[in-house]
Amino acid sequence: MDPKKILIAVDASENSLRAVEYTGDMLGGGEGFHIELLTIERFPDRDLFETEEVWKTECKKHQAAYLNFMAKARKILCDKGISEKQIFSRYIESCKSPLKSPPLICSMGTNIAHEIMGIIESERFGTVVIGRRGVSKEVEFLFGSVSTKIVHYSKGCAVWIVN
Amino acid sequence: MSQDIRNLVKQYYPNFPIRYCGKIYHDTTEFMNIGYGDIICVNGLHYMVLRDEVERRFGIEDPKFWVKRCKHLETGERKIVKLVFYEKFRMKLGEVEILCHRSPGKESRILDLVRGDMRFMQGVSYYDEKNNNVRVLDLIRGKSLDIVIHNIEEDHETYFRKHFPEILEKFIGACEAIGFMHSHGEKHGDIRRDHIWVESGTQKYRWIDFDYSFDFYENPFALDLFGLGGILAFITGKGDCTVGYLLERGFMKEDLAGLTEDDFSIVFHHRLVNLRKIYPYIPEKLNNILLHFSRGTDVFYDTVDEILGDLKPCLDFLDS
Repeated sequence: MDPKKILIAVDASENSLRAVEYTGDMLGGGEGFHIELLTIERFPDRDLFETEEVWKTECKKHQAAYLNFMAKARKILCDKGISEKQIFSRYIESCKSPLKSPPLICSMGTNIAHEIMGIIESERFGTVVIGRRGVSKEVEFLFGSVSTKIVHYSKGCAVWIVN
Repeated sequence: MSQDIRNLVKQYYPNFPIRYCGKIYHDTTEFMNIGYGDIICVNGLHYMVLRDEVERRFGIEDPKFWVKRCKHLETGERKIVKLVFYEKFRMKLGEVEILCHRSPGKESRILDLVRGDMRFMQGVSYYDEKNNNVRVLDLIRGKSLDIVIHNIEEDHETYFRKHFPEILEKFIGACEAIGFMHSHGEKHGDIRRDHIWVESGTQKYRWIDFDYSFDFYENPFALDLFGLGGILAFITGKGDCTVGYLLERGFMKEDLAGLTEDDFSIVFHHRLVNLRKIYPYIPEKLNNILLHFSRGTDVFYDTVDEILGDLKPCLDFLDS
């Protein structure tokens, strides 16, 4: 594992924004890093919408929010003194996307933490950064938590949880 | 009243009083208008409405106007006909609010998935002339699991030694059924003890009502797992073991003095799940499963298989 190979797992939330800003503050001005912004696309469930069209419109909004966030995150890192050449972005589409046929590598969306850990292990990231929602134990129990799962199950890498 | 409906009723349901015959509906959009004596026609089949279904919970009757108890005129069979109702509502689980939706499409998909699997209710989906989903469900004769447990008039220890092993074995089968759903990417969505129907005669446990859906975060199946934990606590305790319930059943305040917050449900803070503290004959292995649903836990179950991996060996520790 290379500690300078850093994965920032983000969605389009405020928690992710804090994770990006923290990483920028910690590493700004540094050299020799590989900092990768990872977004795994997750759309709201089809069953929540009356028609396919309403669902697609909502998915498009989600996708736009994800992509805008990635661009914004990249800018934040640059503004904090991390050179462009050290920043990489990866966007993994949902296998269930109604917007286009899924690519070969896509996300099933049923266990995002597992998918993130798969990338960490297979590509030897030494550090993973993730924002925490800061939810109650009850909510975590009922809905699960990506950050908690990563803390519990990740091996051989440092985990930065940004509250 | 049209001649058509008179002819249908005369042919298939001659005992039905003609004066109560209503209209034939090919479009079910306005389901509130469809009532006793009306006929819903889908896919060339006719279902006479006898009444709206009612859900009874906590002693309160809640009419479900989009669910009709019907007689299928062509066969004479009783059926439940569910019409489209896109309801959104906030469900409160303890302190947590969850935005729930009713999804006819989800229920139809699951009915297709479980066709022929008698661990689940059975039915088929049609579309009316306005393309509204109409689910025609077989009636399950029997009682809901909570009523079955409630009707066992024995003290807890006798219940636990005499009845619980068989109940647990059947509950394990019900958990496997939910695992089957999850393995196909589907969630039940509303796992409650009154959504397991115990069929008369066969005594099989059968899941009903698959039309709930909700938004989720990391684990789409976590709510289902929580529901299974709740039922397990219910069947193990022979009821919801709140302090009030236990006092009614002869426990003294000092018997309960040793209970702590951590012994109660992580979501329903008034329900005891560390049941071994009051019923010491409950095997530790079984109690440990319940503790995964307690406020004191730090480890949650992620899958039905994890629960089953712990639950199945418990059968060996029960008298039967």
